[in-house]
Amino acid sequence: MEGKGIMMHQKITVNEARPYAYSSGLEQTALVVIDMQNDFCSPGGFGELLGNDITPARAIIPVIQTVLEAARAAGMMVVHTREGHLPDLSDCPPTKLARSRAQGAGIGDEGPMGRILVRGERGHAIVPELAPLPGELVIDKPGKGAFYETALQEALAARGITSLVVCGVTTHVCVHTTIREANDRGYECLLLEDASAAFDPGDHEAAVRMIWQQGAIFGWTATAAAFQSALERSAAAAGGRA
Amino acid sequence: MAEHEYGRLSALGNQQWKRPRPTGAAAVKLSGEVVANPYAWPYDGRLIPSRTALLVLDMQTDFCGKSGYVDRMGYDVFSTARAIEPTRRLLEMVRSIPEFTVIYTREGHRPDLADLAPNKRWRSRLIGAEIGTEGPAGRILVRGEPGWQIVPQLTPLPGETIVDKPGKGSFYGTDLDLILRSRGITHLILTGMTTDVGVQSTMREANDRGYECLILEDCTGATDIDNHVAALNMVTMQGGVFGAVTTSDQLIRVLLRLSLESARLTEGELTI
Repeated sequence: MEGKGIMMHQKITVNEARPYAYSSGLEQTALVVIDMQNDFCSPGGFGELLGNDITPARAIIPVIQTVLEAARAAGMMVVHTREGHLPDLSDCPPTKLARSRAQGAGIGDEGPMGRILVRGERGHAIVPELAPLPGELVIDKPGKGAFYETALQEALAARGITSLVVCGVTTHVCVHTTIREANDRGYECLLLEDASAAFDPGDHEAAVRMIWQQGAIFGWTATAAAFQSALERSAAAAGGRA
Repeated sequence: MAEHEYGRLSALGNQQWKRPRPTGAAAVKLSGEVVANPYAWPYDGRLIPSRTALLVLDMQTDFCGKSGYVDRMGYDVFSTARAIEPTRRLLEMVRSIPEFTVIYTREGHRPDLADLAPNKRWRSRLIGAEIGTEGPAGRILVRGEPGWQIVPQLTPLPGETIVDKPGKGSFYGTDLDLILRSRGITHLILTGMTTDVGVQSTMREANDRGYECLILEDCTGATDIDNHVAALNMVTMQGGVFGAVTTSDQLIRVLLRLSLESARLTEGELTI
């Protein structure tokens, strides 16, 4: 592991990003893994109960595993988010509750993995392959966006973070909402295309395009491999200087 | 325009003018349900004018007018300007229902660009339309400039609220949430620019805050038709993950009935 003094000067440059190269300071960049919970990625969870095919969500688990390892090795800040509600559902808007019930999977109802989308239940937990390490920030959020009614912005500010590398589920809902919120707050966002998924591949593709269109209107997109090789180049350059 | 002048304009727009509040009986009586996808809107079965706001988002020259920001970036302005006429028609109808709230937003920055995120500025420069530089419609996306004005067909009336915002979302860095909650508004009808950017960000923010949202397909537009279609499709996924989608015609059918009922009630009061 590199010392902090070296990291200060390390830059990450992802040349193969859309619409053009993405660049950020390693120490100012956080990896944000969105909602990789059983409720969205595991059989019997909320996503599947709503009638979705969870195959795309499961397929990205090994990709995110590799990204997590690379980010941890580089000493990047790692943030995990979880969507879910208090057991008494006092933080669940009536609109959201009514719609989930109309779909046959009411938030708070008993499901195969405990009460649906309720904090502390098995469905709410992050999938074991991607379990947060001690010391990594876990943000519990009541909505789709990770900034609304959470301490995420304060936590990022405290670490001097200005850039976010984002992955997880689902691309067009929670990942997109979070990137939109982050972009309005001035963060530079890079979406890892193949480390994100939607239940419908069409939604995923459309959501990716919306990020980088109009000259990166919400940010950049790249593959997980492109990001990892950028981290390797960054570490090699720092090693050369040291 | 000097900064204090547009500040004054905003303050004027934000004032609550003497607006007749509905009586309890009228509020209950004047209600309806709109045919929408994926569910009849709203979820609680009744469109109650006093609890509903029509949001007209960013219908500015910069987004749907000639020589504005979108035009300068090289996109076909008709793909956004298509929303003007149906929105004008809808506004006419909504304004005939006294207790209905109309709120406009304008995306734009202070003349000194103090509220412009450095990366937003940098990216706009890269696409050849740097925010704050001189364009055919004045300084691009700067408050008070011609390009930043709402298009003349949709000019707000005195008493209609205008919210100025620095981002895509209408809730970030603004008093919109406070204004809506102060008026007891729980339901939002979204129109404006652009379907996949400003409107979609606002709908997502509103949905997380518990507002029941309806977006009108023909009163929105995007620089890319695929993005327009995809953004609307995203709303309808998972039983309406952000709310529901319909057209202004479907909404007007319900509003027409509300408007007639409202007129009848007023008449009734007058003859008493």
